[in-house]
Amino acid sequence: MSLPDNTAARDEILDRVRRGVARQDFEVRRAAAEAALTAPTRGPQPHMATDTAALRARFADKAAALASSVESVVRLAEAPAAVARYLESHGLSKQAVATAEVGALDWTLAGISVAVRAAVDADTVGISGCFCAVAETGTLLLCSGAETPATVSLLPETHIALVPVARLVATMEDAFALVRAELGDMPRALNFISGPSRTGDIEQTIVLGAHGPCRVHLILIGETS
Amino acid sequence: MHFHARAAERVRNPVLQKALQKAKPLFVGKRAKGVASLADDGLDFELLRSTAESIRNRVLADLDVWLDIFETRARVSGAEVLWARDGDEVARLVVDIAQRYGVTKAAKSKSMLSEEAQLNEALAAAGIRPVETDLGEYIVQLAGEAPSHIIAPAVHKTIGEIEALFAEAHGRPEQPRTSADIPAMTQEARAVLRQHFLSAEMGISGANFLIAETGSAALVTNEGNGRMVTTLPRVHVVVTGIEKIVPTLEDFSTLMRLLPRSATGQTISNYVSLLTGTRREGDQDGPEKTVFILVDNGRANLLGSAWQDMLRCIRCGACMNHCPVYFSLGGHAYGWVYPGPMGSVLTPLYTGIENALDLPHASTGCNQCGVVCPVRIPLPKLMHGLRETQVERGLRPWRERFALRAWAWVARRPALYRWLTRGAVRYLRWLVDGSGRIRVFGMAPGWTDGRDLAAGSGKTFHELYAARKRA
Repeated sequence: MSLPDNTAARDEILDRVRRGVARQDFEVRRAAAEAALTAPTRGPQPHMATDTAALRARFADKAAALASSVESVVRLAEAPAAVARYLESHGLSKQAVATAEVGALDWTLAGISVAVRAAVDADTVGISGCFCAVAETGTLLLCSGAETPATVSLLPETHIALVPVARLVATMEDAFALVRAELGDMPRALNFISGPSRTGDIEQTIVLGAHGPCRVHLILIGETS
Repeated sequence: MHFHARAAERVRNPVLQKALQKAKPLFVGKRAKGVASLADDGLDFELLRSTAESIRNRVLADLDVWLDIFETRARVSGAEVLWARDGDEVARLVVDIAQRYGVTKAAKSKSMLSEEAQLNEALAAAGIRPVETDLGEYIVQLAGEAPSHIIAPAVHKTIGEIEALFAEAHGRPEQPRTSADIPAMTQEARAVLRQHFLSAEMGISGANFLIAETGSAALVTNEGNGRMVTTLPRVHVVVTGIEKIVPTLEDFSTLMRLLPRSATGQTISNYVSLLTGTRREGDQDGPEKTVFILVDNGRANLLGSAWQDMLRCIRCGACMNHCPVYFSLGGHAYGWVYPGPMGSVLTPLYTGIENALDLPHASTGCNQCGVVCPVRIPLPKLMHGLRETQVERGLRPWRERFALRAWAWVARRPALYRWLTRGAVRYLRWLVDGSGRIRVFGMAPGWTDGRDLAAGSGKTFHELYAARKRA
């Protein structure tokens, strides 16, 4: 469907901007800006150890500080049993919606019934993997896609994410570098997720579970040392 | 109502004062902790600020180029880009899009720019129901008010007031509430708003930043409502200012080390989303249509002017969170969309200097705002500049101009000046009561309504100086 013709507003605004900027050689400056985009430079970076053990420890610390719960298993195949234990200990339903990347695990063996699809309002548990995870802040990065619908980490009250230790990076900049290297184009949505949804809008009192998940459980997957 | 009258009313409102006094130490303490945590990673706040300042300056110096690049790349990714000269045009465009797509309800995540455009009023007038979904925005929408803070819209509301609003809107009896009930009240709003997310055909959001490199909107929220309104409805409209561009994802990463810390003290907000284009082939969720509306509404006029620094603003709210004037009055006293020091600069610049004469004076000159601003906007300097402009354009009230001219006339006559000041300090001395303080300032009793005036010695500086020189 077409939208209203808007060129008059565009021209007038850009004309005002050009007068304010008051610089000549638009094409030269545009080429320089395009060139700068191909060689992005990083701002001040945190000083942090980046070996796997250090990233893992930091990620777990920071994620826990943001009210996620964190546990570790050695192999991916152990994840369904870990998820089942978590759901049982919290008295949660064993019916879950999952993204395709984790849907192929043997969930039935662990007693969990998993539907691989986008989430709907009635789903109470969502299970996903992650594109990578950022140790600096204890943050997951999820990319939307045909096999990884964004709703799985959004609509259910409980979000469980499987985080391979090999996918831990130090900073947000490192995560973007991985997106460029592995995906090329940006997906529709890159979602950095740091713990359960929260609000402080009633008398500045922090409450978990505003609109998104109330619980975020992270299962780190990989050798411990 | 003018600022003076609004301010006087707010200072005397005990409910508002209670809410503000509760909030201020929380804001200040959290931000201080958040900024201090940078040092744990060997990060220097001042270096980060300088870097952020130069990122924003770089964009403003070539804003025509960056807008062109952003527009091109956003279109390549599948989004549409529209432009709005002013708030009315924003409202017209959004209503037009809504009508083309048969929208009856629009779920909104927080957008101060939509307040500039009075978008909710325009949507409602066109028969489209706007639903604010940020909890604070939802509360002020129920109250029929505007947000009083750019990141904590309902900071002026007490739990009792919120309970009354919820009871009425959700059709249930009002109950006595304490802070222990805040989670239950949040759950109640969650359940109501969830249904709106699922049924709205259009999502409206702002953008914290626009990334030129990728043509993306960056959205930073804690509640997850930003994700909801950009994921579930068929149409997503991003309403944002033309100054919000940052060149690269790296630049965005730098700003993200500053924005949440400056706003709420968080090392990162719960949800940071970069939204590019529309639903892709095979995607099971996401909007079919994404439209950016890039808004001027006074911004372009600041480029190349004495006020260009203000366009660096990343809307963290730190300036108001540290402002003694803001915390005496609350945000509504400022009269337009933006409160606090940033509002005292933006309101006159966007709505006309002659329409907001008091705002640049709503400052103690303490420079707390300048010290905490993550992009180093010299807010006190800008407020002083606006005061000077008022004088240059002859906009100050005649009484003030007359008084200053009279003072200048006296000050150029030293003997007369000494004689008059001698009289003045004797008068002040005479006002002192038994406590050694001035409880009621005779000529202008308003000054001593809420505080005493310290008493002087009864001698002028000139007299003391002369006496000591003799000694």
